[in-house]
Amino acid sequence: MAHNGAYQLPEDMVGLPVLVATPSDIGRLLRELESVENAMLQTELGGKQAAAPKLTSLMDQTVTMNKIDLTKPASRKAFQTFLTNLKKSAPVLHISFSADPTVPFMEKLVSWLRREIHPLVLVTVGLQPNLGAGCVVRSTNKYFDMSLRKNFANSRGILIAKLDEINGIPPVPAPAVVPSVATAGVPAQKVAA
Amino acid sequence: MTIWWLILILTALVSAGSAFIWLVLRIGQAGTGKPKAQAGSFQEAAEQDVEHIFNEQFREELRNRGRLHFEKIIGENAMFLQQDLRLTTSQLNEYMKTEITTKLRDEFDKYEQSIMDAKQLAVESIQKTNQAIDEQRAVISQQVEQQILLEKQQMIKRFEANMADIVNHYVLAAVGNQIDLSDQLEYILTDLEANKKAIVEDINSGA
Repeated sequence: MAHNGAYQLPEDMVGLPVLVATPSDIGRLLRELESVENAMLQTELGGKQAAAPKLTSLMDQTVTMNKIDLTKPASRKAFQTFLTNLKKSAPVLHISFSADPTVPFMEKLVSWLRREIHPLVLVTVGLQPNLGAGCVVRSTNKYFDMSLRKNFANSRGILIAKLDEINGIPPVPAPAVVPSVATAGVPAQKVAA
Repeated sequence: MTIWWLILILTALVSAGSAFIWLVLRIGQAGTGKPKAQAGSFQEAAEQDVEHIFNEQFREELRNRGRLHFEKIIGENAMFLQQDLRLTTSQLNEYMKTEITTKLRDEFDKYEQSIMDAKQLAVESIQKTNQAIDEQRAVISQQVEQQILLEKQQMIKRFEANMADIVNHYVLAAVGNQIDLSDQLEYILTDLEANKKAIVEDINSGA
């Protein structure tokens, strides 16, 4: 899969673990890396040999996945550059659900997105209880309504026809039901308007 | 009738006066046949007799009689005149009453007739007004019925549209509470798969 416009994965990096899913996670990694850098610097200034610092699971998974040696300043510098670029240029998808997603759910979703959409895609999660089911995805320029609410709205003609049928009113030709796939891609500006 | 009485009284007075004059002349002629010598004495005797007969007392008596007679005649005439006047007044009153009654009856008849005509006109006018009101009412009723029908159809349309929204809202609320997000994963991934190309294109096109 070619990813021409978005930020590309450097050759020496494997990717991001599914736990690192949001821009906030990247920020946390950057802060943690900074503290690690400071700790290493103090250790070196003290004349001691650099030892492996204690890391959070988020950092640990990222470092392990990309085989980064944090004791080496060059590795730390490259990792910092990678995270900075990632925070600046990584593609971000804003996905809204009808309820708060669980961690396993998010892991599966992020895993699918990294595999199918972009290996470095980040996700911000929103909450819209009136969606019923499904989700609403907002990318950089587009808005994809893949909710049950949208499906109901598209199928409104069928519902009215059924109501008319119950009330004994002669059926009116229902408007063509447009599949959600075709209507999903709406420019974000139009939606905002 | 009064005039006749008056004429009769005057005639009686004239007759009495004539008789008196005739009597005076007769007495005078009786004295003129004597000789001239005796004429003066006769004349004087006559004058004395006359003076003797028609003395002041006799004259006064005649005058009183005449006055009484005249008063009697005047009183009778006044009585007749009064009676006649009363009769005339009564007749005049009767006549006036009859005339006024007739005139008033005619005027009342005319007034009644004019009232009847006015009443008839008013009744006709009221009937025409009632007819116009009935026609207007019929037209307005028809318009109101049409308007109500139109409103009803619009309300039904709005109700159907709102009903669809209400049904959707309740179904969404009911389904949203019942379906777990984990159970929706398959559905979400299917939709994402369907829109994958568009999402990738948008990401690759940049900001």
